Amino acid sequence: MASLFKDPSKLSAYRDRRFLGSQEDFEHALQTSITVYVGNMSFYTTEEQVYELFSRAGEIKKIIMGLDKNTKTPCGFCFVLYYSRDDAEDAVKYISGTILDDRPIRVDFDWGFQEGRQWGRGRSGGQVRDEYRTDYDPARGGYGKLVQRELEAQRQLVDYGGGSLGSFPPVMPPQYGRHGRSHGHGGSYRRDYQRKRHRDDDGHGHETSKRTSDHESRRISDHDSRPEKNPRFRESGDSDDDEEDDRKQRS
Amino acid sequence: MSSWKNLLLRIGDKSHEYGTSTDFKDHIETCFSALRRELEHSEKDILDFLVQCVEQLPHKIPLYGTLVGLMNLENEDFARKVVENTQTNLQDALDSGNCNRIRILMRFLTVLMCSKVLQSSCLVVAFETLLSSAATTVDEEKGNPSWQACADFYITCILSCLPWGGAELVEQVPEEIERVMVGVEAYLSIRRHASDRGLSFFEDDDEAKNGLGEKDFLEDLWSRIQDLSNNGWKLDSVPRPHLSFEAQLVSGKSHEFGPISCPEQLHSPSTLSGITHGKQKHEAELKYPQRIRRLNIFPASKAEDLQPIDRFVVEEYLLDVLFFFNGCRKECAAFMVGLPVPFRYEYLMAETIFSQLLLLPQPPFRPMYYTLVIIDLCKALPGAFPAVVAGAVRALFEKIADLDMECRTRLILWFSHHLSNFQFIWPWEEWAYVLDLPKWAPQRVFVQEVLEREVRLSYWDKVKQSVENAPGLEELLPPKGGPNFRFSVDGDTERTEQHALSADLSNMVKGRATAREIISWIEESVFPLHGLEVTLKVVLQTFLDIGSKSFTHLITVLERYGQVIAKICPDQDKQVMLIAEVGYYWKNNAQMAAIAIDRMMGYRLISNLAIVRWVFSAENIEQFHTSDHPWEVLRNTVSKTYNRISDLRKEISSLQNGIVPTEEAATKAKAELEAAEAKLTLVDGEPVLGENPVKLSRLKLRAEKAKEEEVSIRESLEAKEALLARALDENEALFLALYKNFSNVLTERLPDASRAGTLSELKSVRADSMSVDLEESSAMEVDNENERQQKSQSNGGRTSSDGYNIGEKEQWCLSTLGYVKAFSRQYASEIWLYIEKLDVEVLTENVHPLFRKAVYCGLRRTIN
Repeated sequence: MASLFKDPSKLSAYRDRRFLGSQEDFEHALQTSITVYVGNMSFYTTEEQVYELFSRAGEIKKIIMGLDKNTKTPCGFCFVLYYSRDDAEDAVKYISGTILDDRPIRVDFDWGFQEGRQWGRGRSGGQVRDEYRTDYDPARGGYGKLVQRELEAQRQLVDYGGGSLGSFPPVMPPQYGRHGRSHGHGGSYRRDYQRKRHRDDDGHGHETSKRTSDHESRRISDHDSRPEKNPRFRESGDSDDDEEDDRKQRS
Repeated sequence: MSSWKNLLLRIGDKSHEYGTSTDFKDHIETCFSALRRELEHSEKDILDFLVQCVEQLPHKIPLYGTLVGLMNLENEDFARKVVENTQTNLQDALDSGNCNRIRILMRFLTVLMCSKVLQSSCLVVAFETLLSSAATTVDEEKGNPSWQACADFYITCILSCLPWGGAELVEQVPEEIERVMVGVEAYLSIRRHASDRGLSFFEDDDEAKNGLGEKDFLEDLWSRIQDLSNNGWKLDSVPRPHLSFEAQLVSGKSHEFGPISCPEQLHSPSTLSGITHGKQKHEAELKYPQRIRRLNIFPASKAEDLQPIDRFVVEEYLLDVLFFFNGCRKECAAFMVGLPVPFRYEYLMAETIFSQLLLLPQPPFRPMYYTLVIIDLCKALPGAFPAVVAGAVRALFEKIADLDMECRTRLILWFSHHLSNFQFIWPWEEWAYVLDLPKWAPQRVFVQEVLEREVRLSYWDKVKQSVENAPGLEELLPPKGGPNFRFSVDGDTERTEQHALSADLSNMVKGRATAREIISWIEESVFPLHGLEVTLKVVLQTFLDIGSKSFTHLITVLERYGQVIAKICPDQDKQVMLIAEVGYYWKNNAQMAAIAIDRMMGYRLISNLAIVRWVFSAENIEQFHTSDHPWEVLRNTVSKTYNRISDLRKEISSLQNGIVPTEEAATKAKAELEAAEAKLTLVDGEPVLGENPVKLSRLKLRAEKAKEEEVSIRESLEAKEALLARALDENEALFLALYKNFSNVLTERLPDASRAGTLSELKSVRADSMSVDLEESSAMEVDNENERQQKSQSNGGRTSSDGYNIGEKEQWCLSTLGYVKAFSRQYASEIWLYIEKLDVEVLTENVHPLFRKAVYCGLRRTIN
């Protein structure tokens, strides 16, 4: 790769505040990581869609969907773990900025998944960026949470009656059915990430944590209570350089 | 970045560094005056950066060469250093076989000659060095003709320089350059014609080209250069900025260029056996690959009308940008569209990119890179490029029946991904007619597979909506993808005892039973009462159902209960049954079926041999010509096996690199300890052997630790080597099984060799005699001469009268042979390791000639 236009040592403009360690440790983690972070996804994108796209950069070890910590439903980001560093590099090089499910997604090196990082860090459970957004983004739950709360407050004042939050779209998007597809993630899984695993020793029969639970019923009801049921439309106005707030800008 | 750097970087571009000017002369003057100011205190920086620019932005080399020429007038020493530096880099590149660097530095030297920085005779000497190395290599007595790929590359390098400096060389050193040209011609007469066999994009080319007057890459380049020479060395595609400064440049001092040397080819006795020759040739072609194979998909009326040499130069530019700007999206697209040529080249650009995307055996980068480049170019040239891409797709679609199988797969993956980036918009109505073709017609299969991949990247309803302008095509969409659970309790189906067992198991999983508990439940109350088949069905179906929600659910259930599966399916027979259950459960979702099989192999619940056996089961064989599903599973399996090997090789080589330093550290620590022990010291007035005890014990500790480290690296190296040996055995077994299966199914179905000794004969076996029954190979009439000619002309394409004219059985054979070739080619390096065994066990004398041909073609092995 050309070294003229790109500083190869500058891997990511973001510094995760939750990373315990020095800047050097952080950079080292990014430089050796086999994990990528995927941002600006639709809440409705499934693991299988991610698999189809990201497996074109190499063999995938795991996918961890980012979940809303309250509803346990996807909240627009995920981690993809590869077996090899080269493949992770190709994913960052070739997939970042391209379209998945009608949205330009962002792909960055990640310092490595740890239990807990699958949860959104926003006050309302999802990603921080979805707290403060003022645009209407049906693939990410309609308006930002803050705006939704304001709308709700106004509605209560004037007493418009019921109606779900965020379902105040400026224009109703056309609805293309997606039956039987929008369930699928959520629930909590035991994931054994610390252990470095190789292709040939994907051993089986690990002890599983007691948290593998009856997530299914919960997931279905979660889905029903979501503000936007099926917000498919052609163009999302989202731009690529949206701030990903989980990852604070370094400077 | 300091401003002189930006000026160097951006020279020749439309950029703010150079204001409104687009004149190369202005750019050079601006840049030169900036460099001149800096030269005194940043000479080293300038030199380094300039060299980087030259090596990574080779389409700007004429500008850089002229700059160096001007600096030569101010500061001879600097120019001398540029020449020396280039010589060192070139020698390094020759030694390490870095093809791009060799080629580019040779071009730079040529341009330095044009700017009077380098003596023209020195350049000729460099040419002659390459020439004589090439001539030696192809000499049967003194050299090693199996390394012709390297020799051809050297000659290509010489010829590639001529568009940049042919005119100057002819003017300055006419006799010497004539000698070089004669030498090249002599070389061309002793080398062998390099056949593209096995690597051409279209199947018919493979047969047609053989022996006919088709030029290979070097012969073609030679004719373009002769053309250029006849044209007075004039061409449009190479800027010649030095001419604007000629009056000044002539007064510069031309420097000398020390000798370079080409690494010696391993000399081998002339009695190379066929196999050794084949192996070495394969190795040489890997190291010195042909950069491009022209695709030629656009009709001459559409594509730009360029001089032959201009086409070559623009291809060079494009390939260099693609090579050096992999990973820099913005710059890559900007340089691709902004080449320093005075004519349009969109069609050539599209053809070049597609030729890389489809390049065999593999493109220089992952196919996805070219997807990205095409997307970016569609955005950069929204008025022109999308239509050109669409034209390329149509052209390839027209010839899809002849397109190599590997290329078809790449095209399907690319096209679906491309469309997913452009809202899935495509004029499908143009292709609606494929519905009238038989289900094995390659165009129909192509549409079906593109739609399948689109659904995977998006979702069913969305893709259905995208084909609204050709609603019939809905028929080709995959099923809607839900699971097909044997023991579902949703419907009205009668609940059997097995349903109850499945429900019990499901409850145990919900109740977090351990794998051991489930195993004992099976051993006590399922297996003894119901037997193996029921047990396997119930357990597998239930687990798959629990893991059906997502990829992660699947992994979770396999990690928790893999032991249970392993217990039930300890051998290959049962593993084949297991895979069949996966196929049943996910019969409506090819992606999930493939993923489940892939993961099970990852957890070593099923062996690759079991997967191969399943792929060659009757049910799958039936789909070989109509669907990608079995091939996808087979590709995954072989690539997973291969990945294990290449991972281990990488780990071993990094351990080996680590072993020397640790060894040295251990030896050093030991020596220090011994030295300290040998010293005499006075303790309590008495002389005692050994230094003071504190230091001594510290040294002892260190020596022990260093030794331990060394031992531990050696141990892990041994462990990895053992693993590699096992993996290689596994791989050998896999390929033998694969080829045996291929050979068996093909022998059963191919018409007798006397009637179908070549692919075109196979194609012209009468269509309808076959479509009746796949199993019946007999009773086929031989065509009369007339009909045969007619059919081989249309070569499997669409004809207006009868749709697709190749029969089902022939298509089955063609597709399967295509995959034999594709697998052989992709894993040729591994397969060559087992070639002797393969010859003995599979490629025996009575193997069908078409099967042998497919294997040989893929391996690029010559048929004696």
